[in-house]
Amino acid sequence: MVPTSYYVLLSAALFTIGAMGMLVRRNAIVLFMSVELMLNAANLALVAFARQQVNPDGQVLVFFVITVAAAEVAVGLALLVAIFRSKRTTDVDEVSTLRG
Amino acid sequence: MEFVIFFITAAIALIGAIAMLVSRNAVHSALFLLLNFSAIAILFLLLRAPFLFAVQLIVYAGAIMVLFLFVVMLLGAERAEDEKDKVAWQRPLAIGLGAALLVEAIFVGFNQLAMEPPTTPEVESFGAPARIGESLFTTYLLPFQITGIILLVAIIGVVVLNQRNRAKA
Amino acid sequence: MFNFIWLIPLLPLVGFALNVFVIRREREAGYVATGAVALSFLVALATFIQFAFSPPAEAKPPRVDLVLWNWISVGEFNVPFGLLFDPLSGVMVLLVTGVGALIHLYSIGYMHGDSRVVRYFAYLNLFVAMMLFLVMSDNMLLLFLGWEGVGLCSFLLIGHWFERRTATSAAAKAFVVNRIGDAAFLVAMMAIFAHFGTLSFYDIELADGAVIEGFLERADEISGLIFSIPGQNFLVSTGIAFLLLIGVTGKSAQLPLFVWLPDAMAGPTPVSALIHAATMVTAGVYLMARTHPIFELSAATQGWVTWIGALTALIAATAAVAQWDIKRVLAYSTVSQLGFMVAAAGMGAYVAAIFHLLTHGVFKALLFLGSGSVIHGTHDTQDMRKMGGLREHMPTTFITYLVGAGALAGIFPLAGFWSKDEIIAHAWSGQNFSIFLLLFVSSLLTAFYMGRQIALTFFGQQRDHSYHAHESGQVMTMPLMILAVGAVLAGAMNLPMLHWLSTWLEPTLHEHAAEFGVTQLILAVVTTLLAAGSGYLGWRYYVANSAKIKPGAKDPLYRYSGDIWEALEEAWYIDRAYEKLTVVPGFRALARFMAGVFDPQGIDGLVRGVGYAFSQAASALRVFQSGFVRTYALLFLAGVVMVVGYLLII
Repeated sequence: MVPTSYYVLLSAALFTIGAMGMLVRRNAIVLFMSVELMLNAANLALVAFARQQVNPDGQVLVFFVITVAAAEVAVGLALLVAIFRSKRTTDVDEVSTLRG
Repeated sequence: MEFVIFFITAAIALIGAIAMLVSRNAVHSALFLLLNFSAIAILFLLLRAPFLFAVQLIVYAGAIMVLFLFVVMLLGAERAEDEKDKVAWQRPLAIGLGAALLVEAIFVGFNQLAMEPPTTPEVESFGAPARIGESLFTTYLLPFQITGIILLVAIIGVVVLNQRNRAKA
Repeated sequence: MFNFIWLIPLLPLVGFALNVFVIRREREAGYVATGAVALSFLVALATFIQFAFSPPAEAKPPRVDLVLWNWISVGEFNVPFGLLFDPLSGVMVLLVTGVGALIHLYSIGYMHGDSRVVRYFAYLNLFVAMMLFLVMSDNMLLLFLGWEGVGLCSFLLIGHWFERRTATSAAAKAFVVNRIGDAAFLVAMMAIFAHFGTLSFYDIELADGAVIEGFLERADEISGLIFSIPGQNFLVSTGIAFLLLIGVTGKSAQLPLFVWLPDAMAGPTPVSALIHAATMVTAGVYLMARTHPIFELSAATQGWVTWIGALTALIAATAAVAQWDIKRVLAYSTVSQLGFMVAAAGMGAYVAAIFHLLTHGVFKALLFLGSGSVIHGTHDTQDMRKMGGLREHMPTTFITYLVGAGALAGIFPLAGFWSKDEIIAHAWSGQNFSIFLLLFVSSLLTAFYMGRQIALTFFGQQRDHSYHAHESGQVMTMPLMILAVGAVLAGAMNLPMLHWLSTWLEPTLHEHAAEFGVTQLILAVVTTLLAAGSGYLGWRYYVANSAKIKPGAKDPLYRYSGDIWEALEEAWYIDRAYEKLTVVPGFRALARFMAGVFDPQGIDGLVRGVGYAFSQAASALRVFQSGFVRTYALLFLAGVVMVVGYLLII
């Protein structure tokens, strides 16, 4: 049996990569992908802990996360399309009219 | 055997994630992410979550990634980052912070390195789709309904957001 | 009828509401307002008659106490909205509604053609309603509601012609001066609650069977209680009574707060009649009669009350002698007569005070309405130097005015004679010679200035021919005639042998009728003879000198008195003293400080400073609002790293 901590370490690494993606990439679509990656990392940790606790609730929670993530992606991409229609770009740095 | 599978899949997941991060073309990023998702799906299987394995493949690898690819190609946004970075100064800062986060995570992880999973017989039957379904429709019935509503709201939201000529209507 | 006493204050209130919300035409407004008060009078009369012939036996002292609803109930503080009808309230209600109705009727004629008649009648109704709440309240708080209500209405009505600067400033003056007394009243109320735990006058049984114990019947509880301020000990009763006295001096226009009343005649004349006769100023005397158990516990305050009353009577009477304005004479005379009442209350002669209050209400209303008729008939002339010889043009007004003046002067057998004589007799039998002298001289002066006024207004030749004098219409003369009959007969209420009023009020005021002996008879005869002589003197002198009186000229008596006369004209410079002592050094400086320093630098500085601070802070913080989502994400991540690090370290 692979120890739970291995999974947790992998999850941490993936999460960090996702967070880095958020910070260094500018393409809004890639940003979304990074968010999905972070969600997946969290899911992985959840499932690992579920096995550790012998409790299926963790898996149920992951199921909900996946569902909500699907909804989130749908709305997010729709927003993106709407922004693209007016700004002609998917670069998040161009969308900065709320600058103080 | 299990260890071998774990290390191979973990390596694939990490490679997929890093490749997604560094590839300049958004289509490539999406494909690498697909690789990463598939690897995680296999890890789910290792963790005795066959139901989530299926869901991960169908929803993430299937639906969500197709949506991503579709939007990237629709908008022609493969190369949105060819211009000069306006906030290039934050790249080293981001790498530093990411490293800090990783260090913190590993620190937490090593503190629980000895965390071995229990091997009772009960674990063998754990994570069967039937049990997940049972708990979804009994204990978690209300959250389940609410996710349904959330999906409905998302559908309506998407339709409203991309309605054309709203002002004239 | 006892269950319907709530109709008495409600009817004028309904009239007020109708005039405010429904009625738009002048004619209807007058009828509705008058009708409401007249109906209220009828209800009051019916209740009064029933009370007289079959008084409610169960209550001691006999009274009707109708708790309408539980008004305020907070912890220990329990104030029901209760209406009281007892002998004292009864006579007050009759005076307020009766005289009030006549004044309303008169107003229909007097205010005809004014631009804001509907509003006028609405306020008039509200005024009467508030006064009824005041006299029918069964607790201090509801009384205070009426007390403040009449203050508000007097402000609104004095300022009825708000285009005139004098009217607005007189209204503001009345309001502000009253406020001083009101503040003291409020404190007195708190003190009463602190010591008795209730504000109700008498025991009240609530619907759920609980009993609120009134404080008047157990006023003895605070007798002998002492509170101290550094260096001085006071009886609690003295403190409460003195605070009430300050309230009375404000509302009933006594020294030193009487200055608002003479100015208050800037309003329409019927309003002056209402303020001076039936409502408002009588409130203070009523309050003293109602709370007399408290006053009786404090001999010190009683002395103050007596002296304030007597001095006010004299000062106002001397001031009235020197006025040219027909209404100002009457205004000072009201102050003077109120002084009589207050002095009587101070001497413990509450029946005499109420008796004089009632008769004065009738004949002072008559005089004010008469002067209104004169002003109306001479096209808004108020300066008596421009009048003269009006008796031929305005016979009804002249006759009724003569009756009123006689009553005020205390000529036998008119109303004022009986009531004022009772007060003077009290001062005499109380062995208080200085008070007696003050009141006696005031009473003679009263006769003198009324004689002067009659001579100046109605006798001699018309001195200013810029107007054509005419008699007022029937709607105005009728109230005059009714009131004139009242001024003749009102004295019968308490004839020395019969003591109807004393007997009637005895359960409430606990005062037995004074005996009437030879001394009193001699005193009465002497008083009325001297008053008649003094009145004749005043009349004779000004008729004889009528040729010397010209518009803008000095009084013929000015030759003999000189500067003193000027002092009299300004009521002993009390107004000016206020200006010099408080307005100029205090309020002006305060106002200048507020306007010049505190407002621009303090308030504006604060407001601008807050705004400036925030805009500066915002400029500093806007650096972070770069508009780059990724920068926000970076900051967010930095936060996460810090929080996780913190959690790891501890």
